[in-house]
Amino acid sequence: MNQEKRKFPIWSWIWFILGAIYFLVPLYATLRHSLRMERDVIGFKAYVRAFEDPNFLQTFFLSNMLAVATIIASIILIVPTAYWIRLRLPQARRITEFITLMPFVIPAIILVFGLIRVYSAPIGIPFTDIAFLQPLTTTHFGTYILITAGYMVLAMPYMYRSVDTGMRTVDIRTLTEAAQSLGAGWFTIVTQVILPNIRSALLSGALLTFAIVVGEVTLASFLGVDAFGPYLFLIGQHKAYEPAALSFVTFLLTWFAMGVIQLVTGGQGQTAGAH
Amino acid sequence: MAYLSISKVKKQFGDAVVVDNFNLDIEKGEFISFLGPSGCGKTTTLRMVAGFELPTSGTITLDGTDITNKAPNQRNVGMIFQAYALFPNMTVSQNIGFGLRIRKEPEAAVKERVQEMINLINLEKHANKYPYQLSGGQQQRVSLARALAIRPDVLLLDEPLSALDAKIRVSLRAEIRAIQKRLGITAIFVTHDQEEALSISDRIVVMYEGRAEQVGTPFEIYNFPKTQFVANFVGSLNNADAEVVDPANGVLAMDGVQFKTADEEMKDRRKGDKVKISIRPERFSFAAEPLKDNVVDSTIENITFLGSVVRIQVKIGNTKFNMDTFNNPFLELPAIGAKEKVMCSKEAVLVLGSAGEPTGLLKDH
Repeated sequence: MNQEKRKFPIWSWIWFILGAIYFLVPLYATLRHSLRMERDVIGFKAYVRAFEDPNFLQTFFLSNMLAVATIIASIILIVPTAYWIRLRLPQARRITEFITLMPFVIPAIILVFGLIRVYSAPIGIPFTDIAFLQPLTTTHFGTYILITAGYMVLAMPYMYRSVDTGMRTVDIRTLTEAAQSLGAGWFTIVTQVILPNIRSALLSGALLTFAIVVGEVTLASFLGVDAFGPYLFLIGQHKAYEPAALSFVTFLLTWFAMGVIQLVTGGQGQTAGAH
Repeated sequence: MAYLSISKVKKQFGDAVVVDNFNLDIEKGEFISFLGPSGCGKTTTLRMVAGFELPTSGTITLDGTDITNKAPNQRNVGMIFQAYALFPNMTVSQNIGFGLRIRKEPEAAVKERVQEMINLINLEKHANKYPYQLSGGQQQRVSLARALAIRPDVLLLDEPLSALDAKIRVSLRAEIRAIQKRLGITAIFVTHDQEEALSISDRIVVMYEGRAEQVGTPFEIYNFPKTQFVANFVGSLNNADAEVVDPANGVLAMDGVQFKTADEEMKDRRKGDKVKISIRPERFSFAAEPLKDNVVDSTIENITFLGSVVRIQVKIGNTKFNMDTFNNPFLELPAIGAKEKVMCSKEAVLVLGSAGEPTGLLKDH
């Protein structure tokens, strides 16, 4: 037997370890800092203080609600769009991908000023005095709609790519035609055939959207929404240990969400056999 | 009136005409195969029947109803795909019951029908498995059961056996045919495999460049091809250029060697016309019976053993022909270079035009 001994992938491991250090050292530093509120004692005082603040729960709850609303609205908008582009408009893929990259190029500050500029005054039908949309920034509900729309834009690159990648791994066209030949309409096809088969891609997109929304500061600050991002920013300016504790908790929540994804999908990228 | 009628159907993608003036009447319970090479328009025609493509012109009627522009989910047509197209998120039972649940049939009726279909395809032990847990052949049987569960008016099969290995392909095609016969369902089967089409069909439509080149039973298609394309595509064929010597008696000359033909096309020929003759390899034999019409001198050029068949290449005049003979352990084969007399009946000599030229006349160029 003349078997060549498998070479140990030393460079792969070096890059992996460097990458891990890059992410883990700041995390460890944050954790360590958050545990040292009391001099010479390692404890959870910063965590207790942070959770005692009623604003924490209030802003965190609001941001979670906004994240859920953003995820639902994004799925409703992006899944049928990505599906239709894959099925019927493949020539529109390039332009769509370009559009979905725009949030990386246009800063959130420009987006929020644009939103305020357009939606802080009534929108009328041209050449008439009739207003078909009242200012959205004057009510809480209107502002929530506006900020959700803004979050959808910010999360679009991640959500679109997740969904599109999910659809790439499934034979969308043939499954659609099979469902059609069995009598299914578009709604049934999307909800019963397409969505279940891109489940983990959707969860990944949802997770990224969740992470973006919960930590977002610019849109919430300028639209005057008492969300978790501005709260974290605010206490970061006045307190030393609580922001570190809250950042670490947020990080753990994100990992918890990823664990849920692994659990729900059984650790598989897609529905088994969808490839 | 035919059960399924495809009339003057044309399909164009941009400037490319993929299907042109396609006409076909199919009777209820018939098993029709669309046979042809890649790009001949067979799948596009099938997809127009399914409703996935709309014809540029022409009509498709099913049981007297015009379905040309009906949406695919309004046609009650079952479809089986090459890639199985089972829903990965559903079990075998759920896949089979999908169409019935869409039709909002009572759950008890759905369960009964699903069980019936599972029994039909002999997958009782796999009802709760997911598609990825099944072999290719099993998946395609589930696909068949799913398509049949909705009691379709027509069953469409788009190269359903292409992705399977050879043995499964043969057994599954027999199974498909048996089920189709048992249920009496009208079926259209798309394939590029001539053996598949010949073995399974009531009638075959040989397609070429978007047209139906010939429609006939497997026997007719193989033994009496009407065009050069059909003759070449279905089975093996020897082709040679020849000249008409005596049209009334069906005499032709090829490299100075005379052949007799019984082809009726000869009546329309004149002496000196250039034609193409075609002879199937199995129609030649060594001249043991001297009373055959065409007994000619030949030289043995090559011998190839193909298992059940031995292919002998002979040179007649300046043209090489293949001659097939069944193998048997006591077969006495001639030596290469030996001179032998070979023969074929006058019915074996076909006078054919090239594809699209049913007159059989050769092009000048």
